[in-house]
Amino acid sequence: MKKKFRGASLVMPDRMYFFVTPALVLFLVFWVYPVLQLFYYSVTNFNGVNYNYDFVGFKNYARIIQEGSLINAIKNTFIYTVIIVVGSNLLGLALAMLLNMKIIGKTVFRTMSYIPALFSAIVVGFIWSYVYMPGSGMLAALLNAVGLDGSTVNLLGNFKTALYSIAVVDIWKNVGTTMIIYLAGLQTVDESLLEAGKIDGCTEWQLIRKIKLPLISATITINVVLNVIAGLKSFDYSFIMTNGGPGKATQTLMYIIFKTAFNDQMMGKASAFSVVSFILIIAITIAMLRFMNKREVEL
Amino acid sequence: MKKKFLSLVLAAGMTMSLLAGCGNSEATSTQSQDTQAQTAESSEETSSEATEAVAATADDVTITMMFSGVASENDFETEVLPKLIKEKFPNITLEVTKLPDDQYYTALKTKLASGECPDIILVQPKYAGSNSVIELAKAGYLMDLSDLSFLDLAGDAAKEAFTYDGKVYGVAQGVSILGTYYNKNMFDENGLEVPKTWDEFLDCCETLKNAGIQPIVMGDKDAYVMQFGLYQIAANEVYPNNASFDDQLRTGETSFEDEGTWDKVLEMYYELYDKGYVIESSLGLGAAQAIQMFVDGEAAMTFDGSFNAAALTADGKVDFERGYFPLPAVNGDTYASMAPGGGPAVYAGTQHPDEVKAILEYWFDGESPAYQAFASTGNVIITYGYGADQNDAMFDAFLDLYNQGKAWYWCNQAWPSGTENEMESLFGSMIGGQGTTVSDITSGMQMKLEELLEAN
Repeated sequence: MKKKFRGASLVMPDRMYFFVTPALVLFLVFWVYPVLQLFYYSVTNFNGVNYNYDFVGFKNYARIIQEGSLINAIKNTFIYTVIIVVGSNLLGLALAMLLNMKIIGKTVFRTMSYIPALFSAIVVGFIWSYVYMPGSGMLAALLNAVGLDGSTVNLLGNFKTALYSIAVVDIWKNVGTTMIIYLAGLQTVDESLLEAGKIDGCTEWQLIRKIKLPLISATITINVVLNVIAGLKSFDYSFIMTNGGPGKATQTLMYIIFKTAFNDQMMGKASAFSVVSFILIIAITIAMLRFMNKREVEL
Repeated sequence: MKKKFLSLVLAAGMTMSLLAGCGNSEATSTQSQDTQAQTAESSEETSSEATEAVAATADDVTITMMFSGVASENDFETEVLPKLIKEKFPNITLEVTKLPDDQYYTALKTKLASGECPDIILVQPKYAGSNSVIELAKAGYLMDLSDLSFLDLAGDAAKEAFTYDGKVYGVAQGVSILGTYYNKNMFDENGLEVPKTWDEFLDCCETLKNAGIQPIVMGDKDAYVMQFGLYQIAANEVYPNNASFDDQLRTGETSFEDEGTWDKVLEMYYELYDKGYVIESSLGLGAAQAIQMFVDGEAAMTFDGSFNAAALTADGKVDFERGYFPLPAVNGDTYASMAPGGGPAVYAGTQHPDEVKAILEYWFDGESPAYQAFASTGNVIITYGYGADQNDAMFDAFLDLYNQGKAWYWCNQAWPSGTENEMESLFGSMIGGQGTTVSDITSGMQMKLEELLEAN
């Protein structure tokens, strides 16, 4: 018997493949198969109950494009994503830099800014719908207290402001998590490099721009990616705070999938939405990772 | 070589045990779903052993039942009913599982698909919800219950709501009402009475508005509340002219765009917003917040259902007396918007059809201990038998209309589910000043309806 098969891989000897089987079976049954099923349902008119469904070809796809609900949902999702990526990262980074300084009560402030992240989305959404409540909500009361007219504040009921208002809630809740990751990144920055920079006459801004940011570029990548994923998957606040309304102003991709599948009982059409979202999210993630990875090396 | 073989066997073994593990965990999860029911009936087990000897001739059967909702303390379905059934039929054990709504729908779908459906399930009237009686009957999942004797007691409206193809497939549990709650003190202070026609209603609103009182508060941020007002108007203006308007929507004989039907309903309702009778910030208010404002005396009226009566009669910042009236028709011939409540139906594949029917006969006969316990839960408005005179006096005007046959089901119960969401979104755009017109809404509803009919 030969000791080694010709051409056998050194990394993964042939028989090792057998050990992959259990994990592979689980992966195929519970992940790959359902995803493939999604593609299959998207060309049927399955309603979730009746298994005597028909094939309708690409009608579901044609319909979601024609009626404009797909475009509207994509637009809302993108706006939402951009707001929370920019907002959450700028705010999180600023907070992390502040809380990385030697100030009194640092741990208290760190804890406080992380507390909102501990609540469930339901709780946060419920509390904030009272903050935004027209007439007597917290925001209206605050405006009244400083002498402005609070009775006209109706952020969630206004078509122009509803989406931004729920994005702000998302930022408020998740900025703590972003901040913690940035803080961890900032603490890896070598003190001696900063000292060397100061000796060379760097201003505070130059220290941040030329030393801190390049050194935490990996952290930035992680935070941006996490926030982009959270934004593209956004569902919670549209569902809890506005029910996709007013009109269709806060319907995101995930919300419209849920609504189509469980309110309208159109699993086929919901699958078509899901397939589009699936492709879109994968494309965006790949593009972004390639871009960010390049930046990381450059910096 | 040996080693290689051994590792092969091991890997295969691992795979097998993993797959076996899946099978097992599935079994336990169904078990845990039933534990709630089992604990409910285990307390009766000891007492039943004594009576078992008596009922030795009849076979012991276990009837399973699945309902939606959250079990409360001394819950009627999960605790009281199984006990009373055991007392009446010692050989029958009723096992009841109660699941929160969303889980119920999922569980029902899976159980129907796998052919392991409980004997008794909760269904909604007409086409309402994903457990609607007509959809399930059409798919052949339900047993014909037309020969149950108590159905005549419940009345035609209840029977009609659970009928498909001339056969009755479900039992209504009481009724639910949509109406207008009003602040009696505010009405008295402004010399107002319950309006008898639509014009009188508008006058009421105008008087209140001129007196500096917000006439109506609605929580349109939760868009479903728009149905509360719209269906009351539709009950007056659409169905009296054509009782089978909704059935004809399905055959294409009628359309939402027909003149004098939904365009009229939407225009009448929009007028309330246009004239500022409904609070201007309604799109930013949640349903609970609107109820709170009514209870706190910040508005004179709100459209809501009998199912929210507890919240609407709770104590607020000010004390006042509440009243409840159906929105009046233009010509004064007012109809109520009242829906027979969802109730039990029987799975077509049940092994014990006779026992299940005996249970239902006993439960809904209008006088048995089971019916009395059911009527005393206070969760539904009873229309016949024991407890029919115990309902809140607020509902009397509605029940009179109901018993005269002057009541219509809720519109969305006859539509494919999803149509009402389109109506709400579009009406929201209209009151939000997005330039949506009434004809945009009716054509949007018609498009959605056609799409949903095609899909389902």
